[in-house]
Amino acid sequence: MHRHLALLAYLLCAFITYVTAEHSFENTAIVRTVELAGSLVHVRTTFVVKALETGSMIYAFALGPDEAEKTSFFEVRLKNEQTPIELQHFGFNAQSNTYLYAAILPNALKKNDNVTLELETVQTHATYPWPAAIGQNDEMTLKYETGLFVLSPYPTSVQRTKIRSSSPRIKSYTEPSNVEAFTLDAPVTKSGATITYGPFSNIPTSALASFTEDTQQRITIHFNHDLPVMEITKMKRAAEISHWGSNLNIQDDIWLHNAGPQLKGHFSRLEHQQQTYNNRPAGHVLRAFSVMLPTGVRDVYYTDIVGNVSTSHLRASPSVPKGTKGKQSSYLEIRPRYPLMGGWNYSFTVGWDSPLSDWAAYDKRDGRYVVAVPILTQFPDTVIDEAEIKIILPEGATDLEIYPPYSPISVKKSMHSTYLDTKGRPAVSFFFKDLTDRHAGFIYVAYKITFFEHLRKPMTIAAVIFGLFVLSSAARRMDMRIRSKNY
Amino acid sequence: MAMAYSLPSNLAPSTVANTASLLRIAAFFFVSGAAIASRLFAVVNYESIIHEFDPWFNYRATKVLAEKGFYEFWNWFDPTAWYPLGRVVGGTIYPGLMATSGVIFNVLHSLSLPVDIRNICVLLAPGFSALTAWSTYMFTKEMKDESAGLLAAIFIGIAPGYISRSVAGSYDNEAIAIFLLMFTFFLWIKALKQGSAFFGTGAALFYFYMVAAWGGYAFITNMIPLHSLVLILMGRYSNRLYVAYSSWYVVGTLSSMQVPFVGFQPVRTSEHMAALGVFGLLQLVAFTDLVRSHVSSKQFQSLIRVSVVVLGILGAVVFGVLTMNGWIAPWTGRFYSLWDTGYAKKYIPIIASVSEHQPTAWPSFFMDLHFLIVLFPAGVYLCFNELRDEHVFVIIYAFVASYFAGVMVRLMLTLTPCVCVASAVAFSSLLERYMDPNEPNEEDAKEEIKGTANPSEPATATPAKKSKKAEKVGKAASQTSGDLSSKLANLVSSKIDKQKGIFGLDTRLIVLMNALMMLCTFVLHCTWVTANAYSSPSVVLSSNNPDGSKHIIDDYREAYYWLRQNTPETSVIMSWWDYGYQIAGFADRPTLVDNNTWNNTHIATVGKAMASSEEKSYPILRKHDVDYVLVIFGGLLGYSGDDINKFLWMVRIAQGVWPDEIQEPQYFTPRGEYRVDAQASDTMKNSLMYKMSYYRFNELFMGNVPVDRVRNQQLPLVGPTLDYLDEAFTSENWIVRIYQVKKEDILGRDLKSANAFAAGKKRKRGRPLTRRKALV
Repeated sequence: MHRHLALLAYLLCAFITYVTAEHSFENTAIVRTVELAGSLVHVRTTFVVKALETGSMIYAFALGPDEAEKTSFFEVRLKNEQTPIELQHFGFNAQSNTYLYAAILPNALKKNDNVTLELETVQTHATYPWPAAIGQNDEMTLKYETGLFVLSPYPTSVQRTKIRSSSPRIKSYTEPSNVEAFTLDAPVTKSGATITYGPFSNIPTSALASFTEDTQQRITIHFNHDLPVMEITKMKRAAEISHWGSNLNIQDDIWLHNAGPQLKGHFSRLEHQQQTYNNRPAGHVLRAFSVMLPTGVRDVYYTDIVGNVSTSHLRASPSVPKGTKGKQSSYLEIRPRYPLMGGWNYSFTVGWDSPLSDWAAYDKRDGRYVVAVPILTQFPDTVIDEAEIKIILPEGATDLEIYPPYSPISVKKSMHSTYLDTKGRPAVSFFFKDLTDRHAGFIYVAYKITFFEHLRKPMTIAAVIFGLFVLSSAARRMDMRIRSKNY
Repeated sequence: MAMAYSLPSNLAPSTVANTASLLRIAAFFFVSGAAIASRLFAVVNYESIIHEFDPWFNYRATKVLAEKGFYEFWNWFDPTAWYPLGRVVGGTIYPGLMATSGVIFNVLHSLSLPVDIRNICVLLAPGFSALTAWSTYMFTKEMKDESAGLLAAIFIGIAPGYISRSVAGSYDNEAIAIFLLMFTFFLWIKALKQGSAFFGTGAALFYFYMVAAWGGYAFITNMIPLHSLVLILMGRYSNRLYVAYSSWYVVGTLSSMQVPFVGFQPVRTSEHMAALGVFGLLQLVAFTDLVRSHVSSKQFQSLIRVSVVVLGILGAVVFGVLTMNGWIAPWTGRFYSLWDTGYAKKYIPIIASVSEHQPTAWPSFFMDLHFLIVLFPAGVYLCFNELRDEHVFVIIYAFVASYFAGVMVRLMLTLTPCVCVASAVAFSSLLERYMDPNEPNEEDAKEEIKGTANPSEPATATPAKKSKKAEKVGKAASQTSGDLSSKLANLVSSKIDKQKGIFGLDTRLIVLMNALMMLCTFVLHCTWVTANAYSSPSVVLSSNNPDGSKHIIDDYREAYYWLRQNTPETSVIMSWWDYGYQIAGFADRPTLVDNNTWNNTHIATVGKAMASSEEKSYPILRKHDVDYVLVIFGGLLGYSGDDINKFLWMVRIAQGVWPDEIQEPQYFTPRGEYRVDAQASDTMKNSLMYKMSYYRFNELFMGNVPVDRVRNQQLPLVGPTLDYLDEAFTSENWIVRIYQVKKEDILGRDLKSANAFAAGKKRKRGRPLTRRKALV
């Protein structure tokens, strides 16, 4: 802990003076790979870094303002390692006109040491439909924009950007001009579904206002996409822990939106059915999708405000023992009530029960229960704009400790009262924004609960019923008549 | 005395009484279980969903009550119904049902049982059916004894005639009204028997609850006076009657006037005059009684003759004058239609267009009541045999309800309890007679030959398992019922003997086995009918896949949900009134007309828009701010309850208001047939309804001859075109089709020529230039 504090203090100092200070690193090579899709664009950038000073251990990344806004997931790892490196977000830096992030390397580097860093980001709402409205039988095309050069506070020897489209049918892409300073070859090449910009060599420090204004360029890719652009505008998850039922119930209220191009004109069932008949379904129409649920789920329900939706199928698989890394999972195939055309909304509820033993463990040393609650159910290529995860603990749980995998926007504690509760159940709500597939993880909640609390509900019910019996037997023995029977 | 089989004789009477009481409680427990469980077919086969049409409004109103509280509900003005008029909901409904659910909801929530309001609404009817069974038990107990009561309870518990209105999800006023009806009647009988103001007031309070819950309260309002009147005419006036009726009428009428929807009707409409009249008559009779006790009988005779004549004439004149001056409203059309089944079709097509207002077909009596309908007359006959005051009630009830059930299908509901009571009396008499182990001896047989049994004769049948009180009642009943059952026994044994009665165990067993078999077939029948005929929510349809599994056809909800999710909240939906409540409940959008058919002109306007050609209906649609038009079309699937089949009612209702513009015969072929194929009349083919139903339907057949599967007719290869509407949504099986009304052309052309221009067609020569005209 002390080490962290010291480091933080050091970091801050370092960053205040960073622009003026002598550069401690140099990028030998940068390769950026952009995977284009509908709602989520995955960007993986590999930095081969050379230390220019001994003892360098804080490496800074820079993102342009537009990209930083779109980026909702940001993770850095050493090459071939699983655990991410600790990161500090520094926000917008006016001097460099970029957003800065600092990674603290696990080991300080010596002069001329090399290290390979992998930066992985997920951009949400990064593509937009173009044209913005299409007919029911038309093909959907999307546009994606980004900067030509990867920005870095350090000079770069060589860098390259690969943009991989979801289909090889790319309508157009920007041919950069005025890049003779960095390359003599063709600045852009296309092969199949991949467009490669670069390699560009000898790029000076680019995280500077002057560079972003003068040298940086916008590039635009206009590509075909055959899958619907799904967006969950709001998701509310309620996870209820029950020790008596040995059950973890998870219920998601989901507001789904087809963020693809707006439907031009109106929906025609005839044309929709003809597409199915001719086996040429339009890519932008969301007909059905399947989501992965954990193993061991039971009593899965799929409903909406107007009742049960009968068009779903569940392929459940049994629980796997804890600790084993089972590959299987249950699949829930969901077909909305109506096909979702561009711009249409559909809200629904999916919920399930699963054995608590799959999620909870009892810590004997300090007498705590630890429960892992999954943050989200993965929808294919879907961004969750707003998420609220409410974890409802058993009645009487105390000493709450929460361990979210990444920091939520806000946390709210409340009381939740449900079936025959006397004092209500403590609940913790987490609020998140722009969740992606990479945000799947678990919130760990630890709490204590006494034996008496377990017995509270049956005791209450027993007491009430006993009271009723006593009252009724007393009432039967009372003579309420004004005149006695013998009169 | 000879016994057919021996009974244990060493049991203490208290043991017998306690055992009987325990058995009754257990039996009643199972009766309630059966009544509730058989109504859950709807939930098991489909889901916990509100059924049909009216329940959707009740559900919506209940939600308002549960979420916003009672005062909000009371003052609720619903601007989305009857657009643009709106509806004062608090003053135009019977709030009893919603209040009941609201109370249950609040009680459960205060016990921290957060039951969804929908589930309360869905399960209210099954819950109340158990209470109905209980109140029928109490009622029948007053007629005969506990055993007959239990039989009546199980009969009403599973009789399809009552289940048809009270399956889970059928959240309608009838769900609680039948309980209230039977309980009010029970309290009335109790009050009458004991002359108790307490029970009379109790009857009045439940009458108030009934008034708050169902428009059918008028049945009670007239049944109790009728019963009293008949009792007076039979010379059975007593202080008991006076006390019971007066306490019921005064408290009941005053409290019923507290319901806003009823208001001053109890003193101003003809339907309520009988009760008032009988109340006045009772005062007179009571007064005469008083006078009689003070003057000599001869003076009294002449006095009463004169006063009766004078008062009778005076009463009739006052009533006539009040009616003429409009102080008392004349009979309403709904009332006339009870006497003349053809009345509604002629004068108020909107009432006749409802299928449940049609006269009852004979098979439905058997379908709804099974063997009870056969036992029913026997039960009424047994009531005649005994003819105590309460039996008179059942007899009147039987006659009145039988008539009404014959007039309107939905009134089968009021007949069912009476049938159950009467049949239970008959059936229990039969069982009692044949379970009685006493063999007849010479004396009994002789007495029986003399004629009808004499009630004063000491009873031979005294079954051991009876409480003291029941014995008293039972004795008389079994004695009289013996008459019928002995006749039956003669038929069974088919030999005429001098000695009448039942001999031996075998004869008893034959009859008892037969009776048991009848009961079993009754249960089977009820289960089958409930599961197959009465449990469909009608918003969700189902069919069977080839492999026998269930296929759910969910077009209604698909379309309604689409409306809810993908149209602006203020879009006004026009549809035929049947779907108004559903659109409001499922889609939460304003509607022009709905199932609360209070404004005939508004409904006729919708009928006219549907029945007219596009050019004529477009101004109507625009004037009413209609954004979407919704039609139900079953032609693809063979779903017969669609709008084309209802279309003639739209035409008739529109014709009632605009006889010059809409004429029913124009929608038939020259040969008088109602067709939708090539032979259909031009008016039919050009009507908005026809066009919306079949728009692009032919393209689905890809060049083959399109077939309408409901009407089994081949449609023309070229389908209708629409100029003023756009198809906005069609559900998976084409059952629900939604059209958007186009806005006026921005260039000021009429939409037809604008469309023709867009399609590249030349304007026909000789037609006036509509564009130039429009620009002026």
